[in-house]
Amino acid sequence: MNILHMHPRAAEHHQSNLDRLIPDESELTAGVKIEAGRSYGFFTDTTVCIGCKACEVACKEWNNLPADNLGMTGQSFDNTGALSANTWRHVAFVEKSGAGGIRDGVEQPFQSGWLMMSDVCKHCHHAPCMEACPTGALFKTEFDTVVVQQDICNGCGYCVPACPFGVVEVSKLDGKAHKCTLCYDRLKGGLEPACAKSCPTDSIQFGELSDLQERAARRVEDLHARGVPSAYLYGTPGAPGATGGMSHLNAFFLLTDRPEVYNLPSAPTRPSRRVAPSLFSGLATVAGLTLAAAFLFAESERRP
Amino acid sequence: MTASYTVLERGPVDPPDRPDSAAERDMPRPAGTDAVWRGPTYYGRQALKPAPFEANVVGGYVFLAGLSGASALIATVADLSMGRRAEALVRRGRYTAMLAPTLGSALLAYDLHTPERFYNMFRVAKGTSPMSIGTWILMSFSGAASLCAAAQFAADRGVGPARGIARAASLPAALAGAGLATYTAALFAATSTPLWAAAPRALAVRFGSSAIASGAAALWLGERDGGLTRRLETLAAAALAVDLTADAVSALIYRRTGVAPALSGPAGMVEKVLATGLGAALPLGLYAASRLAGHRPTRGQGALAALAVLAGGALLRISMIKAGETSARRPDISFRFMQPDNLPEADPARDRPTIGRG
Repeated sequence: MNILHMHPRAAEHHQSNLDRLIPDESELTAGVKIEAGRSYGFFTDTTVCIGCKACEVACKEWNNLPADNLGMTGQSFDNTGALSANTWRHVAFVEKSGAGGIRDGVEQPFQSGWLMMSDVCKHCHHAPCMEACPTGALFKTEFDTVVVQQDICNGCGYCVPACPFGVVEVSKLDGKAHKCTLCYDRLKGGLEPACAKSCPTDSIQFGELSDLQERAARRVEDLHARGVPSAYLYGTPGAPGATGGMSHLNAFFLLTDRPEVYNLPSAPTRPSRRVAPSLFSGLATVAGLTLAAAFLFAESERRP
Repeated sequence: MTASYTVLERGPVDPPDRPDSAAERDMPRPAGTDAVWRGPTYYGRQALKPAPFEANVVGGYVFLAGLSGASALIATVADLSMGRRAEALVRRGRYTAMLAPTLGSALLAYDLHTPERFYNMFRVAKGTSPMSIGTWILMSFSGAASLCAAAQFAADRGVGPARGIARAASLPAALAGAGLATYTAALFAATSTPLWAAAPRALAVRFGSSAIASGAAALWLGERDGGLTRRLETLAAAALAVDLTADAVSALIYRRTGVAPALSGPAGMVEKVLATGLGAALPLGLYAASRLAGHRPTRGQGALAALAVLAGGALLRISMIKAGETSARRPDISFRFMQPDNLPEADPARDRPTIGRG
């Protein structure tokens, strides 16, 4: 393109694409360019989580989410409790030492006896909530994330029991389903999600899914080599959490204890796989009984 | 400034007393002695969220859907095979079929959390969502059954061609009715709620057979013709026998997959004693006993059996919804259910060694 009256200083830039002179913020903060048509997700490395809850706060701030409760649970430092319609990041706290009244004599070489995990919507590849949604309010975005369209949702609540991770909830405040959007608005503007940006230890990493999965596999190898044999991935292809036809989770985790310890199921399944067996068994039953009825009604009267 | 949402105030109230406080919210009832997952849980908190359905409303709809679909089916079969001899039965069947399009649809819209947007159900048609499948089944059933009932009404008042229209419309109504009576089982089975997901096929057989039994029982109540009541009794008995068999099979599956404790509470008692015992076993026994004794049940006994079948059908749906919520709330049930041994046979993760190496 020949630009007339171009300022001579502009020619000093070696980049020929003037649009890209100023990089997107995500390139500076997460080292990733956000483009439509690619898969993005979270890799949450629980071994470096310090339980600061900056992600919870950043999420509430950016998404303008109302407070859920102001009570104490008495369950370690977790006063949030669970993911809900108004809480899209939830930091779980597990105190391993002393659990069950027995103090472990030998502690892990990191984090002492603490397990902390920032839980979030998994943005499943075959998202059960999206497959269940009868209005099309839940959809896959151009970034391969799963979002509820608030102007479509009619609060039928069917996505809630569909989710195998207990993430989606229908809000009592507005009667619509809510969950993490993976900061759809921020991605559109070239910003990484608020929780990942606020994470001070990079426990929450945002990026392109294939990059994240490679990075996570390297991290597991590294941890194994450094004496943490319990480290494993949850939600990558073939791993726990990606079972039963779930393929993989776009938000996946590195864990060091059984999934149940973090309130995650070992082997979730894709509910839509049960539609056909159930539907056809029911129809076969009714067809059989209808046939019986046809014989009954057709048979000639034997006695009054 | 007024907030557009409820702001919970901090106050000197013990957390369990305050609704929605973090301590109380999501907390399951204490695991009973029948706890099935002995491994760790996260402070006993629920791992799944129960469906935000009102059990009586949704259960009521599911029952009416089964009753209406089965009524349309039985009326069509009776019309095709007996014609004028079953005229009264066919008429009542076509009118009973209007329960789902009218009352049932109203119950469905009522259970939405944003009911004024009910029409968004018609934006899409999705094979992965039984609720979407059901929306379109109910739509087609409503159209055909309404036309059929209206034509029946006109025919009874001497409008010439109406009888033919009613008969023509009764065929699509019967086809959609078969779907309407059974898709609700897929609706529950295609979720992550353990009790509903554990036995997709057995649940569908139960819903289907119980719907046919309900339809036969409802049509029995108004029938005076001796031959037709006998046929309806036999049909109801056959459906109840299928229902009880599927119940026995599902009980085995529930025990094997570890969701059986969800049926140990009040809802489970209703399911076992009222829905299965009084609603299926008792009427079946009555029909069988009178057949063995060689005489027909008296009008009173027959009415008792028919009412028991109808009440049992409704209670089966309601109690399964409530017990399903329990199974989602209790992590000992949901974690047991979502173990690799409950994965489908073909899943490669089924035989994976224990998680982690630590």
